[in-house]
Amino acid sequence: MTVSTDYTAQEIIVVAGAKVLENNKIVFVGTGLPMVASLLAIRTHAPGLIPVFEAGAVGPPLHHGLPISVGDSKTFTGASYLKGLNGAFELTQRGFADFGFIGGAEVDMYGNLNSTMMGDFPDGYGKPKVRLPGSGGASDMAASCDRTILIVPHDKKKFNEKLSYITSPGHLDGSPNARYNAGMQGKGPYRLITTKGIFDFEEKTKRMRLIHTFPGETVESIQAATGFELLVAADVTQFAPPTKEEVRMIREEVDPLGIFVKRAAK
Amino acid sequence: MENNAKMVWTGLSPDDAREALVVKDKSMRDKRMTLKEAVSRFVKPGDNVGIGGFVNIRQPIAITHEMVRQGFKDLTLSFQSAAMGPEILAGAMMVRPDHCSIKRIELAYWGHEAFGLSPAWRYLAERGLIEFEDWSNYNMSARFKAGAMGIPFIPTRGPLGGDIKNTSRTKIIDCPFTGRKIALLPASNPNVGLIHVQAADMYGNCIVRGTDATCAEIAMASAHTIVTCEQLVSHELLVSNPKDILIPFPAVDAVIKVPFGAYPGACRRHYYFNGEHIREFLSLIAPMCKGGSPDALKAWYDEHIFGVENFEDYIEKFQTKKLIADQAAESYNCERFA
Repeated sequence: MTVSTDYTAQEIIVVAGAKVLENNKIVFVGTGLPMVASLLAIRTHAPGLIPVFEAGAVGPPLHHGLPISVGDSKTFTGASYLKGLNGAFELTQRGFADFGFIGGAEVDMYGNLNSTMMGDFPDGYGKPKVRLPGSGGASDMAASCDRTILIVPHDKKKFNEKLSYITSPGHLDGSPNARYNAGMQGKGPYRLITTKGIFDFEEKTKRMRLIHTFPGETVESIQAATGFELLVAADVTQFAPPTKEEVRMIREEVDPLGIFVKRAAK
Repeated sequence: MENNAKMVWTGLSPDDAREALVVKDKSMRDKRMTLKEAVSRFVKPGDNVGIGGFVNIRQPIAITHEMVRQGFKDLTLSFQSAAMGPEILAGAMMVRPDHCSIKRIELAYWGHEAFGLSPAWRYLAERGLIEFEDWSNYNMSARFKAGAMGIPFIPTRGPLGGDIKNTSRTKIIDCPFTGRKIALLPASNPNVGLIHVQAADMYGNCIVRGTDATCAEIAMASAHTIVTCEQLVSHELLVSNPKDILIPFPAVDAVIKVPFGAYPGACRRHYYFNGEHIREFLSLIAPMCKGGSPDALKAWYDEHIFGVENFEDYIEKFQTKKLIADQAAESYNCERFA
């Protein structure tokens, strides 16, 4: 297992995301890096992982490669079940999805995500400073999957005490039973993977807690890039860098066209 | 009960939607017509328009081109996740606001996934040129489903917890059975649904391959539905396995055979994405977000929509080689005998 020396920030996210996924579980996969990480997991340690895509496909083998979209034709071929969006989300609401795997543009210390807008809220909602695409299925996954895995590129501007808009609810304000009291199901954010490390959410306070630093990062460097105070696990460790084989698989087999994992400039 | 926004039905009210079907001619008759005729008969100023497909999959692109050619006014667009459909309509509003105008959008997501963000969405929203109401994919799908079920609302978990419930007409109640909080979403009954499918017969029965998206719900909820299809087949063939029929004929008002009708998006069994063309189109809109000139975008509309008679002429502008390559890419995705 030789360690890669030229992996990119996106590649370590993909490897970390894949490792969080457990074999034989159902994962509801959002668009982008979650798709790449899920496919890598299937082709490495989790061949029994069952991906669900919101356009409706359940458990496709993905033999034809990485889907460009969560409604891609590649997700339909060989699927065990295929209806439409209502079918997929009803499964999730019912409790069939062990994991939801989503990204966002902005995150707070309780794992709430924003993918709707940047600017003043509520006054600026109708004319936002920056308009983002919107929830898609992320808020449904956040409200109804049993546990959610989040991906957010690490940047002080994106890790904020207060979000412009809560699109996908996490642990809300961190108060006891906040999710249950709001009417939601599921345990909420389980892991957050960023370009700098891996986080869980501390059991009592539900606050974001650093558990693994990525190579080259320290607790201090990660805190410095975060707009609120992080909790740090007592036994925080360094996440092993991706192996040459993992990086090769991402570049040659999982995302050979660089659809979601951009190639480093040569 | 938390009352978040004043209730206004932005399409048909449940009672009006019911009445629209009661008075409609539901006979099994030949509904083939030109796209020109379908759009001029069924898309009216002020309409709430339900857009089928999902992101860049099976979007009713040919219908949106015809709408742009004819012009449209004060529309409300309703969809879960859409891409080139609203992009074409909104881009037209950016270059010809006198001819094309969108008043409001009810949506879960407007973007192109791997192909990029939607510059037209940013342009219209960040300048405050349209009203909009954010929902999630399940929220919009469930709202169409409630419309299709003939009920005024549907309970879901989706908008609980976050801000979607605060910026939409969601109502939160204590569930009368469990006592826990539950969200109620208003039904969506568009005036007209726009749907592209793989196969239809002349009466409007439709077969869809790959995801159903929310097409059946939109067609059943809408007062009128325009269907374009890749393949127009005999009624006998279409009904050979009745359970294959996703949309039944009484829900459909117009049937038009339009090969490549979802292009440059993808259509299962027929063609994969033309990502280059999608990116190229977006790159004409993007500079306008930063105050750039509309000339390049206007030229695109003049050449590809206003300057042609119909969608077939637009498709003819692509190299045959490219069209065949996109078909070949799709036949790799779902290998089968012809």
